[in-house]
Amino acid sequence: MRTQNKIRIIFFFLLCFCKLVTSAQNKKDSVTEITPSITFTYLNSNDTIILTANIFDKKEQGVFAIKNAIIVFSASGDKETRNLGQAKADEEGNAILKLPVATAIPKDKDGKTIYTAKFNGKGKFQPAIETFSAKLARITVNFSKEDSLHFILVTATQVDYKGSVKPIQKEKVVVYVPRLFTLLKIGETDLDEAGTGKVEYTGKLVGDSLGNIMVIARIEENDKFGNVQGQSSISWGIPKQYYLAERPTRELWTPIAPIWMIVTLITMLTGVWAHYIYAVIQLIKIKQISKKNPGNPENNNKFT
Amino acid sequence: MENKDTKEKLLREFAPQLEKTSPATLVWILFLLGVIAWGVYAFVAQVTKGHIVTGMRDNVVWGIYIVNFIFFMGMSYAGAIISGTLQLFRTEWRKPIIRMAEYLAIISLLIGPGYILLCIGRLDRLHYLALFGRIQSPITWDVIAISTDIFGCLIFLYLSILRDIASLRDFSELKIPAWRKKIYSMLALGYTGLPEQVKRLRRATDIMATMVIAIAIIVYSVLAWIFSVTLQPGWHSTIFGPYFVIAAVYSGTGVLIIAMWVFRKVYRLDQYITRKHFVAMGVLMVVLAALFGYFTFSDYLTKWYGSEKNDESLIRILFTEYYWPFIFSNYIGVLIPLLVIGIPKLRTITNITLSALIVIVALWFNRYLIVIPTLESPYLPIQDSRPEWANYAGTWVEYALMAAGVALFCLMFTIASKFVPVMNVSEMSETPKTESSELFKTEESLL
Repeated sequence: MRTQNKIRIIFFFLLCFCKLVTSAQNKKDSVTEITPSITFTYLNSNDTIILTANIFDKKEQGVFAIKNAIIVFSASGDKETRNLGQAKADEEGNAILKLPVATAIPKDKDGKTIYTAKFNGKGKFQPAIETFSAKLARITVNFSKEDSLHFILVTATQVDYKGSVKPIQKEKVVVYVPRLFTLLKIGETDLDEAGTGKVEYTGKLVGDSLGNIMVIARIEENDKFGNVQGQSSISWGIPKQYYLAERPTRELWTPIAPIWMIVTLITMLTGVWAHYIYAVIQLIKIKQISKKNPGNPENNNKFT
Repeated sequence: MENKDTKEKLLREFAPQLEKTSPATLVWILFLLGVIAWGVYAFVAQVTKGHIVTGMRDNVVWGIYIVNFIFFMGMSYAGAIISGTLQLFRTEWRKPIIRMAEYLAIISLLIGPGYILLCIGRLDRLHYLALFGRIQSPITWDVIAISTDIFGCLIFLYLSILRDIASLRDFSELKIPAWRKKIYSMLALGYTGLPEQVKRLRRATDIMATMVIAIAIIVYSVLAWIFSVTLQPGWHSTIFGPYFVIAAVYSGTGVLIIAMWVFRKVYRLDQYITRKHFVAMGVLMVVLAALFGYFTFSDYLTKWYGSEKNDESLIRILFTEYYWPFIFSNYIGVLIPLLVIGIPKLRTITNITLSALIVIVALWFNRYLIVIPTLESPYLPIQDSRPEWANYAGTWVEYALMAAGVALFCLMFTIASKFVPVMNVSEMSETPKTESSELFKTEESLL
C-alpha cells in the first residue's frame, strides 16, 4: 500500500472518529436535563403577603430565567398543608402570588408557616422546590411631632398559634422613603419590649405636589418573620415644584395663523405681485410708446 | 439686433404651420378629442356615482389623481425653471427650444390643478376654500402659490411671445383669417421694436424670468411640504422640498426633450433643433439624474438606518410589493440617462429621446411610490382589512381621466403651436452676441 493511500485511510478514520464524538456529544447535549433553581422571597406588606419565586437555570455562561414555568405555592403548619395557588413565571423568571393576610394559613405551634414554591418540571426541565418559613407579623407606621422634632414611630406585632397578637421585641427595623428608582434609607431602630421603635426624621426630602412623602418601615430577611413591611404617608416633605418648560403653542388650531406666517406670506406675495405689476406696467408703457410714435405699424405693416 | 431678412425667411418657413392644418394633424386632434371625451364620460360617471368608482377608499385617500397633479405641476415648474434660466443666461442654444419650455410651463400648470378638482369628493363645496380657508393649512398655501404661479407664467409667456406676435401682425404674406390678424394686432400692443420698447420688454422679461424661477421653486416646495409637514412614514422628511424640485425639473427636462423630438419631426425643424440641442438638454438631464439619485438615496438611507418602525415597514413594502416600480423609478430611471449621455457612442437623438421617455415614466412611478405605499402603511391599524380597502388600485375612471389629461396637454400644445410658432422667431433672427457665442462654443466643445 502506498503511503498516500495510508494517509487517506488514516484521515478517513480520523474523520469518522470525530464525527462519532461530535454525534455523541450532540446526543448528550440534546438529552441534557436542566435542573432549575428557585429563590423564594416572602414579603408581608400592609396586610398582603407577597410570595415571589424566581426560577432560573444557572450555567457557566450565566443565569437564565425560565419563563412561563408554573410555580405552585403551598403553606404548611403542624397538621395540614394548604395549596395557596399557582403563578406563571414572567420574562425574568418571577412567579408572584399575593394573598390577603386574612387568608387562613396553617401554622405550627410556634406560629410559623412553611411556605413552599414548587416547580413540577416539564420536558427537559427537572422539578425544583424551595421553602421558606415565616411567622405572621405586622408593622404599623405612625408619626409624632415634639417641639420642632419629627419622629417616625414604628410598632411591630406578631400573631401566635392561637391567633393572639404580641409585640415583636429586639428586632431591627429599617425606615425608608421611596425615591425615583430605589428606597432611600433614613434611619433604623431596635424594637423595645413593647414592640415599638422611634426614628427621627431630619431629612428635607421632596414629596409630591402637596409635600406628602411615603415612609416604609421594614424588618428585613429575618429568620423568624421574613420580610415584613408597613408604610404610611405624611406631609413632611417639601412640595414638589413642577417646572414645566413653556411649550410654544403651534397655533394651528387657533382661528388666526401665527404672526410669522402671516408676515412671511404677505411679504412674499407683495414681493411677487409687485414684480408682476411692474411687468404689466412695462407692457402698458410699450403700448403708450407706440401711440406716441407716428409710424404705428398697426396702420403701416413692415413686411408689405 | 434683429436681422429682417432672416426674420422674413423664418416667418415664411413657419407660416404654413400657422395657416394650414394637415389631414394628419386633424386626425391627431380628433384622436385627442376622442380621448378627452372618454375622460368626460368617466368624469360624469364619477360625479353621478360618487368616488366609489375610483380606487380611493378611507385609508388610501389619494391615488392617481394626486400622482398626476404632482407630475403635471412638476413639468410646469421644470418648464418655468428651464425657460427662465435660459432667458436670464442668454444661452444661445435656447432660441429654438425656449418657447417649448414656456408652453410646457403654462400648459402643465393649467392641467395639473384639474386633478385636484377630480380628487375632491364635494366639488359643490369648493368655494369654501376661499370663504373659510385658513392660512395655517398647507393646502391654502398651495392654492395661493399655484394661482400666483399661473399669473406669473402667463405674463412671462406673453412677454416672450410679444415680439413674435408683432412680427406675425406685420407679416403680410401670412394667409390667415382677418379675425386672427386682429387678435395679433390687439395682442402686439403696438410693439414695433423701438429702442424704448425693446428696453422695456427686455427688462420686464428678465424680471419675470427671475420671478418664474423663484415662484416655481417656492410653489413646488409648498407642494412637497403638503406631504412633509405630516408625520406620515415616508413623507416626514426635511429634504422633500428640494427633492421635489429636482424631481420636477428632471421629469420636465424629459418632457421637453420629447417635445423637441416631436416638433422636430412634425414641423421638420431638423436644421434648427439639432443634435447639439438634444445633447445640451441631455447633459442637463444627467446632472438632474445624479441629483435626483442622490436625494433619493439620502432620503431612503436615513429612513432605513433610523429603523423607525413605520419607516421600516414602508421600506419593506417598497422592496416587496412595489419591487419593480421601485427599481424602475429609482435605479433604471437614474442610470439610463447617465449611460446614454455618459457614453459618447450612445449619445444620439433617438437614444436621448428614448432615455427621456424612460425618465418620464420612471418619475411618474416615483410620484406613485411616494403617495400610495405611505397611505397603505398608516400608523393606526386599518379598520377594514378587505384587500380592496387596505390596498389601492386605480380604476378605469382614473386611468381614463389620466389619459384625458395627457390628451388635453398634447392638444393644447398642438393648438398653441398653431397660434404662435413653436420656436422664438424674433430671437432666432437676432445676430448672436460674441460672448454668448463663445460660451456656446465652450459648451459645445465640452460635449
